Amino acid sequence: MKRTAILMAAALIAPTGAWAAIGCTLSNPAQDLKYLFPSMTSYKEELKEFSRLEKGRDLYAGIRDRLGSDLDPLYETFETPYTVYTVFSGKTKAGIVHGVNVPGKGGVIQVFLWTDPSTGEIRKFFFQRLESPAAKALRDKAFRARFEGMTLADFYKHDYYAAADPGSAADRLGRVVPPPLDPDGKPDYDATLRGIRKNLILLDLFVYGRRFEPFFERARAAQKGARP
Amino acid sequence: MNQPILMRYTTLAFRNLRRRRVRTALTVAGVALAVMVGVALGGFMLGYRGAIDRSIDMLGFQVMIMAKGCPYEAATMMLKGGTGLLYLPADTFDKVRSDQAVESITPVFVGVAQKEGSGIRDGAKEAAFTVISGVEPASYLVMKPWLRLKAGAGFENGRWFKPESEDEIVLGFEAAEYEQRKVGDDFYATIQPAGKPDALRRRFKVVGVLERTGTQDDGTVFMPIRAARLAFNRPNELTILGIKLKDFNSFKLREFENRWLKLPEVQVVGLQQVKTTLIGLVATAQTMIAAVAAIAILVALLGVVNAILMSVYERTGEIGIMKALGARRGDIFQLVWLETLILCLLGSLVGSAAAVVGAGVVERAIRSLADLGVSGSIVSITPKVLAYAVLGSTALGCFAGLYPAWRASSMRPVDAIREGASQ
Repeated sequence: MKRTAILMAAALIAPTGAWAAIGCTLSNPAQDLKYLFPSMTSYKEELKEFSRLEKGRDLYAGIRDRLGSDLDPLYETFETPYTVYTVFSGKTKAGIVHGVNVPGKGGVIQVFLWTDPSTGEIRKFFFQRLESPAAKALRDKAFRARFEGMTLADFYKHDYYAAADPGSAADRLGRVVPPPLDPDGKPDYDATLRGIRKNLILLDLFVYGRRFEPFFERARAAQKGARP
Repeated sequence: MNQPILMRYTTLAFRNLRRRRVRTALTVAGVALAVMVGVALGGFMLGYRGAIDRSIDMLGFQVMIMAKGCPYEAATMMLKGGTGLLYLPADTFDKVRSDQAVESITPVFVGVAQKEGSGIRDGAKEAAFTVISGVEPASYLVMKPWLRLKAGAGFENGRWFKPESEDEIVLGFEAAEYEQRKVGDDFYATIQPAGKPDALRRRFKVVGVLERTGTQDDGTVFMPIRAARLAFNRPNELTILGIKLKDFNSFKLREFENRWLKLPEVQVVGLQQVKTTLIGLVATAQTMIAAVAAIAILVALLGVVNAILMSVYERTGEIGIMKALGARRGDIFQLVWLETLILCLLGSLVGSAAAVVGAGVVERAIRSLADLGVSGSIVSITPKVLAYAVLGSTALGCFAGLYPAWRASSMRPVDAIREGASQ
């Protein structure tokens, strides 16, 4: 009895299991991806780091402008690794899955996107971790479905319309109605939008060959007051 | 011509070994492999014991007093986020504190807070939890003086919470990293107060983040013990008493234990006992491992004997001629024996070098096979381990070389020349 008690007391001494690094990966990639893609036959996991990209420093510095907010100096650094999952159904690419961490009001928020491999459209948006008073509202399927079909272009267009034509009916993101939130939940809603945008910006760099840059340039020109 | 005799034997032995390069290389590789396994396992035994020592020393306490059965709950807590921790009456602290043998004592209240599950499936979230430790910083830091608050960007003005505070917390290094928290940030945790039907989401303020320690403290959320008790609705309870004794030895510990085991709800656990038990458990596994290493060494040894014997048989005629030309039994014996020694020495050097280079790989392999429950490096290949390996291999080489050397030296010149000619 005593011996067992001593052994069990060792549980108090043992260091906790290794927690995830600052990067954002799926907890159970094989199971999670199979859940998202029942027809999945295989998947590829690629680690992406700015340090491995050509002109990585410049690309990293450019994220701030594209995101419209500062990067966290501790948790959104140049060294932060990102994991891109490419899902295959036979030989066909079925989807790209990628997650990012964004600091929420009371803890980290992990925002994952499943995007179309050819168009970059969001097929599904979901959270892996979200501790928030707004968690129920934000995890709501109907709310998350509002982002389906959007691309990074829609986020840049939102910036463009905000500067050049506020309230435009063509502003798809502007039409997204936030779920009912109490004031404590608003920061996490904002962090969620930031997470989706950051995720799409990184995917544009890592996967889509910066195809949405013209939309960014147009938005920036509009913001500077110069009509395209 | 003026070379010392040993040098001449050595040169000759090397020349003989070079004549069958592949066989020599394979024999050396066999010995190297066995030595590498032996060194790596020796390093693991040494390193793991050191890691256990470090982990237990980093707990800070010499003795813990906890509720009977509590360790089971602690294990559950560690593994599954169980909420059924057992608690001591808070007045146990006052009773034990008055014990003359106690140098310092700190009360700890441990609670398990629920976290929003981590998972992508709608409606099916995996359970997640975080360990909250209610402590008194003044006495806790006496036990763990190495706990330091992080400084620098994001952690400016970090401090320990005020004892009367109800919403201030200090995060362990990994808890902060996992939740991406900085000093001044909020931190949410859902707490189930004892005896209440509904869990409450609480918002805390991070006032400090600790430097990494490599212990359980890294993943812990610290808050004032009074606030923790209130949050979990256990105002008059605590989980552990951490104690340092004025004189710490097994006799004093037994005396202390006997004094406090009279309380029906209490059990006293000396960390030395935990250490001994853990090491005892590991020793069983280590015996098995040592047996495997011994078999590997035996196989290598047989390989060496076999290689040298083959070499002797192949050179039967040559040995006969050497004897006919005046070589004595001792000369032949020394020559063959030296060849065996060279093989074993070379193998031990190569194996030792490979073990040093591959220590990281070995560690990763061991960790991938089992959760060892300790932090820090668990493979410690010291110069002493290497010296033992080289000396041991050389000694075994001496032994392995005896039979082939005796066999070679016992040949009669005429028979050997005849047999060699017929080969």
